[in-house]
Amino acid sequence: MRGPGRIARGLLTDAARPVGFRFDGRPMRGLAGDTLASALLANGKRLVARSFKYHRPRGIVTSGPEEPCALVDVIGNEGREPNRLATTLPLYEGLQAQSQNRWPSLELDARALTDLVARFLPAGFYYKTFMAPAWAWERLYEPLIRRAAGLGTLRPSPAHGAAPAQTVHDHVDVLVVGAGACGLAAARRLAASGMRVVLADQDAVLGGGTLLNDGATQWREAVCAELAGCAAVRSLLRTTVIGAYGHGVFAALEELAPAETAAHGGLRERLRVIRARRVVLATGALERLIAFPGNDLPGVMLAGAALGFLRRYGVAVGRRPAFFLNTDEAYEAVFALASAGIGCAGVIDVRASSLAADRARAQGIEVHGGAVVDAVSGGKRVRSIEIAGSDGRRWRIDADCLLMSGGYSPATALASQLGAQLRWQEAIAAFSADLDPAFGQVAGAARGIFGLAAAARDGEAAARAIAEALRPAVGAAGPAGVVGAVGAAGAGAVRAAVELPPDPEVTPIAPLWEVRGRGKAFVDLQNDVTAADVRLAVREGYTHVEHMKRYTTHGMATDQGRVGGVVGSAVLAEARGVPLAAVGMPKPRPFAQAVPFAALAGGEVGEHFKPKRRLALHDWHEQAGATFAAAGLWLRPLVYSRQSGWDPVLGEARAVRRSVGIADVSTLGKIDVQGADAARFLDFIYANTLSTLPIGRARYGIMLREDGMLLDDGTASRLAAEHFLVTTTTANGTAVFEHLEFHLQAVCPRFDVLLTDVADHWAQFAVAGPRSREVLGAVVAGIDLSAEAFPFMAAAGATIAGVAGRVFRISFSGELAYELAVPAQSALPVWRALLDAGRPFGIAAYGLDALNTLRIEKGHVTGAELNGNTNALDLGLQRMLKTSGDFVGRALSQRPGMSAPDRLQLVGVRPVDRTQPLRNGSQLVAASARRTSLGYVTSSTPSVGLEGWVGLALLAGGRRRTGERLIAASPIDDAHTEIEITSPHQFDPENVRVRA
Amino acid sequence: MHAELAGIRLEACSADIVEVSARCGRAADLAALAREMGSPLPAFGRAAIAGGRLALCVRPERWLLLEARAPAGTTAALWQAACAGYGVAVDLSSGLAALHLAGAAARAMLARTCRLDLDPCVFAQGVAAATIMAQVPATLASLPSGLLLLTPSTTARHLREWLAAAGKAFGLSSEPDLTLAELLGRDCR
Repeated sequence: MRGPGRIARGLLTDAARPVGFRFDGRPMRGLAGDTLASALLANGKRLVARSFKYHRPRGIVTSGPEEPCALVDVIGNEGREPNRLATTLPLYEGLQAQSQNRWPSLELDARALTDLVARFLPAGFYYKTFMAPAWAWERLYEPLIRRAAGLGTLRPSPAHGAAPAQTVHDHVDVLVVGAGACGLAAARRLAASGMRVVLADQDAVLGGGTLLNDGATQWREAVCAELAGCAAVRSLLRTTVIGAYGHGVFAALEELAPAETAAHGGLRERLRVIRARRVVLATGALERLIAFPGNDLPGVMLAGAALGFLRRYGVAVGRRPAFFLNTDEAYEAVFALASAGIGCAGVIDVRASSLAADRARAQGIEVHGGAVVDAVSGGKRVRSIEIAGSDGRRWRIDADCLLMSGGYSPATALASQLGAQLRWQEAIAAFSADLDPAFGQVAGAARGIFGLAAAARDGEAAARAIAEALRPAVGAAGPAGVVGAVGAAGAGAVRAAVELPPDPEVTPIAPLWEVRGRGKAFVDLQNDVTAADVRLAVREGYTHVEHMKRYTTHGMATDQGRVGGVVGSAVLAEARGVPLAAVGMPKPRPFAQAVPFAALAGGEVGEHFKPKRRLALHDWHEQAGATFAAAGLWLRPLVYSRQSGWDPVLGEARAVRRSVGIADVSTLGKIDVQGADAARFLDFIYANTLSTLPIGRARYGIMLREDGMLLDDGTASRLAAEHFLVTTTTANGTAVFEHLEFHLQAVCPRFDVLLTDVADHWAQFAVAGPRSREVLGAVVAGIDLSAEAFPFMAAAGATIAGVAGRVFRISFSGELAYELAVPAQSALPVWRALLDAGRPFGIAAYGLDALNTLRIEKGHVTGAELNGNTNALDLGLQRMLKTSGDFVGRALSQRPGMSAPDRLQLVGVRPVDRTQPLRNGSQLVAASARRTSLGYVTSSTPSVGLEGWVGLALLAGGRRRTGERLIAASPIDDAHTEIEITSPHQFDPENVRVRA
Repeated sequence: MHAELAGIRLEACSADIVEVSARCGRAADLAALAREMGSPLPAFGRAAIAGGRLALCVRPERWLLLEARAPAGTTAALWQAACAGYGVAVDLSSGLAALHLAGAAARAMLARTCRLDLDPCVFAQGVAAATIMAQVPATLASLPSGLLLLTPSTTARHLREWLAAAGKAFGLSSEPDLTLAELLGRDCR
């Protein structure tokens, strides 16, 4: 085994449980508890990736989710999944990981030649090059660039059986984000105050920074034990809060450990939607890089990462590390590695002197004060480091890795998402953010309070402030108050038996962002953005930090540039000649970390993708052999046959025209309207008059939107003086109900009207055809069905097959027809009774297709024509618009443009050659060669009442063109059909049959 | 067996359902009338059992009344006649489906789709609310026997399918239908 490997016992690893895995096909061994990154380092693997743009060799830079470089493809039963972070990917037996974006191999990547011509590929090169010839962009340049740049490859296995992700809704008084010293202390205090708390941490264990400090172990274990015994606190591990939204809503991604995944049938992640009254953002601070030439060479990593790998996994990242740092805090890594027996090549400290440097020197560690690293040598790994002193002297030291630390930036993403403004803190050379107390508190390192003991004190103070703020509301909350009783007793009583050791005194940071020299100095390692790219952005005029971000792509990779974000801003500030505080940082948006789409989709996939609305008679339709069509959420019988083609449809339609048919039209929207002002309200809602409708009659009506366009059509029946039933089209049932409720509540709030959606209560059947009256005669009692007593558009209550229901003489088919409504629970016996009564007449159930055939040849419109772009005049309904009284859409329906002569108007179309079919969507053109569309076919069908096909179309100035011949062109079918323009009412235009 | 397997019983409850709504400015009269009829109307967001009826209020000045099954339409007609002038009563017996969930893990299972805080301290007995579950409307009430769930009848099968799928991990079992009297007489505390 090459490289330093595992040298100590890790906090998280189990030396007794080796785990076999493969990287790039090579078998390796790690330990249970390892991440892929720690196992690779333990195996001496330094080169793990190639960079996005220049294909430069890259190694592991961090030990956590902020990792910019160590992204791998994971190959498993579910296929090939790209862009998994080696630093957070738990190691499991049989794990197969592969490096990304290299060809033919990681060691020898041919595309690394890009690095040699990098001067021709500066930031934004693709905005300026590859402009000509125009055809080449899509066919040549883009495919080439896509192949050359990129990350991993997604290749899902079609047969994979992974359980879909889960969504879980959590409610708490306080959400504590981050379980370091600060978060633990805050959670403990909140629990003592009687709060319901969720403590979320992205790590697999609680502790955060306390895990890296032996002195904090006792305190951590004591607090964790206390929290574990507290029912009001739930600790969510491997849970990253990825979004902070208004009203106390947070999104968190919980990734299950491999063992949990196995126990939950392959479940990999839960998306938790957490609603919290307050939040404590104890998100800590992130160590940042320093931009210097070669800062991306494998072996150059963050000092804190080296400390993390050592403490957590017992892995040394090198045998002879050098350090390049500017804070006392970063010396913790120096001391930890030294006490683990790793010889230090030297510490390059930007500051001339510091307390930590003195302590290091006392331990015999060489510290080069007042110096910087200005070059790193080595092909694919660090071999030596060139140092420049403040006096201009340069020297070189040999080292196998360089552990850098440019200071610490508070993790402000979530606070920023909640609208917090960034504040520059000179003392720590970093931006921090404070939350509006109405949202919660930022505490600990997240607001620049460094040191474990100080952070814990700050967390406790934040928790106390929140407990104080919530307590008054608690008493008033009545049954909802889960806080309170314990609160008063618990306040101020928390004192752990074990205390954290005091934080050492520190010398302040000396900010250093960039060391300029020859070679590329990266500010964004994942998107290959250099400090020079940032300066180029300024020269090109992209001087605002948000413009620079988009021009260079700095911070736009999956890691969101977390380790180099502020460094990019600093380079920008220097290039602009303004203070860093004036430049700021780009606004972070959700999600704070890359999230698999599967987690966002949750369980609403496959069968559960969208709800299905089923008819009361769904099972009957299914048993009768219906093919179903999804119409919105509804499953509607399309045709009672599994046979394709028009024959079964036309058979059903012919039964209606010749004798009698029955259709389930329960999907229609139905709204019960009652009250003293019901008629007045409907006059306002409908464009035509309803108040004159006599009791026991129905009327066809149209509704407009406020903009004057048609919203919907349907019928309104007057059941009593103050009682109407409104029906809507199937598609618009919900929209029309909302439209009515809105206008009642917002426009007519003083009207005495009550609206109830009764769509699901009433099953409704259309019995249509010349023999329909005879069928009803056998089933309906309580009303005289004769043409005189119950004429067209009559409505009445009746007993139908022994069930109290309603009968309407309404026709959509153009035949003598009735619609019968009964409570849905009685649908089946009534439907069966109607079928029995119709059997002597050859009654046939007809589906949506036959319904369409009948209505198209009759010229009745549906959603294809009521498409949101048509008005009453377009559809020939202008005579329905009342001329007196106000109604919704009146004013804007009178705009001059609404009656423009060239608007698309409803017409009928028929092929001149009656053997030719029509196709929906065909464009109407004057001649085959003409490319100007005059309109299009909206609906078409073979006719049962007429010869050949018939259709409806929307045609510019259509009504003037009746009798003209045009071409219906359907280029995708290569079809050009000569058609004639007719009235939309092609079958029985005199409307004789419905009045029979 | 997983720890979540605490067992949940899912039952459909057969009942007449009537929505009684107060007419403009007549809510107080309607409430007085209901008191006389032995069914005081609960406050907004609450459910109450009295006189063999369950009444719940999730819309301002509107109450859903669940009563024992009677011939179709008669319960609504009775209320419509009784509250004439004060309100209107609309039969929704076929429009809404009533489901009942009982068992310690019922709330944890519903947290997979329900955005309401179902902690027993918050969604305590007597609380009712309208929400969305599995993408469809749902009215939820906390009763002594468990949780009552009303959903539009045309999406009830979808919701049951969702509950069955989500309930697997919780040991959900579908039980025979209940009558309202059986439901209201039961106390699963």
